[in-house]
Amino acid sequence: MDRTEIEKRVVKVVCGVLGCDAETVTPDSHFVFDLGAESTQSVELVAAFEGEFNIEMDEDAALEVQTVGGAVEFIAKYV
Amino acid sequence: MRLIVFDRPSDKRVHFYPLALSRPIFELRCGMTTLLDKLIAKVGARDVACFVPEYLAASYETATALPVNDVSKLTGDDLLLVDGRIRAAEFGVAPAGKSQVALDDAGAVLYARIAKGDLAKLKTQSLDALLESAAAALPKAEPVLVWNYVWDLVLENPATITADFRAAGRSGVEGTVEEPHAIRGSRSDVYVGPGAKVHPMVVIDAEHGPVYLDEGVEVHPFTRIEGPCYVGKKSVLLGTNCREGNSIGPMCRVGGEVEESIIHGYSNKYHDGFLGHAYVGQWVNLGAMTTNSDLKNDYSPVSVVLDGKGPVNTGSTKVGSLIGDHTKTSIGTLLNTGAYVGAMAIIATIGKLVPKYIPCFAWYLEGAVTKGFGKKKLYETARIAMSRRKCQWTEIDEALWDTVHKMTAPERDEAVKRGRKLLAPGGGA
Repeated sequence: MDRTEIEKRVVKVVCGVLGCDAETVTPDSHFVFDLGAESTQSVELVAAFEGEFNIEMDEDAALEVQTVGGAVEFIAKYV
Repeated sequence: MRLIVFDRPSDKRVHFYPLALSRPIFELRCGMTTLLDKLIAKVGARDVACFVPEYLAASYETATALPVNDVSKLTGDDLLLVDGRIRAAEFGVAPAGKSQVALDDAGAVLYARIAKGDLAKLKTQSLDALLESAAAALPKAEPVLVWNYVWDLVLENPATITADFRAAGRSGVEGTVEEPHAIRGSRSDVYVGPGAKVHPMVVIDAEHGPVYLDEGVEVHPFTRIEGPCYVGKKSVLLGTNCREGNSIGPMCRVGGEVEESIIHGYSNKYHDGFLGHAYVGQWVNLGAMTTNSDLKNDYSPVSVVLDGKGPVNTGSTKVGSLIGDHTKTSIGTLLNTGAYVGAMAIIATIGKLVPKYIPCFAWYLEGAVTKGFGKKKLYETARIAMSRRKCQWTEIDEALWDTVHKMTAPERDEAVKRGRKLLAPGGGA
């Protein structure tokens, strides 16, 4: 899967879980400070990424990821 | 004579989950005491040893003064070996006498009475070897009654409190009962232990059963305690509608409405919300308005899912929740009739009934089971919760829970997979 496709699907998941507009999401968007993610929503994001990409991520490492671009990089290692 | 109480690994252990995941079955409570206490009292033994599944041994050694898994205790005296599931009240076998063994339907030993002189004919290198050789070599006796499922303890709790109260032989007020108060029924059916404080405006209703408030219990105003009831040491009732048949504590904080439930030590249900016919482990926190159903709308028997697979028909119309140690529920959690909530679980609800089976170490968020922040975060929370009560989370605790985490991985992984699908875009959570 190419990086553009991953990025597109990551944004779709982020918007679905956090209820934000895709146009406001950039690679630098911080889940907490820019997109307003609560702590439990970060758990939902991890589960939703796993469901979207049909992968299983290390939860500790996954929860360290703080930005949308970081999530794309992280998921790229699994797909 | 030496009494040896054993809890062997078997497919029947799951009948006592999630509570028996972290303790021997005979450490479960019914009435005022544990099943072990009842067996010891019934047999009248002074020399007692016990055997537990190997993964529980180190943890249990820190909680008991009894020898644990000590093979040397299998020789040197007349022995009475009893399965910890045996119902002490109905156990009428004399501690001393000719050697004999009783087996269950599957051929497992329920008890074995072995005269010292017969031990030489049997294998004593391990508990399993001794029981197997006893089963093969000794005359057979009639089977005895056992507790079959964890909810049996809940259903028998009211009658057992009454029996235990009579056996304890205490009544009267050694603590303080402030005016105004009301004690209904016979005062001989009420015991307020030393250091216990009953604040004003409390009703103790012993008309239908005894009420035992153990040492240091504190009962806040507007609490109504209906017997039979046992409240363990240093527990606090906070304006509680404490209906009949509860065993609580020690060191619990309980408010709201509670009926015919067993709550192990150090658990909190501080706020309003109904808990009925439930069995709650230790270090549990039930958030405000957490409520469980214990009766179905069609009055049919309640089923419980013990292993994440098939339901078990309890045969009873009244069964509430089974909640494992260290589990926390959010405000407004609604637990279905006969819900199984595994140990070390986190429930954060969205106003709907929680599924009837929540695996151990699950984080239930947004209507789906997730891995959440993982077990390390749960351990950190357990450490904090325990330190608040001046208890310590140790490496032994961590090793025990690591094992439970591995043991319960298959059903959790399955639930997490379903959760991922639900939380993925378009998944429907």
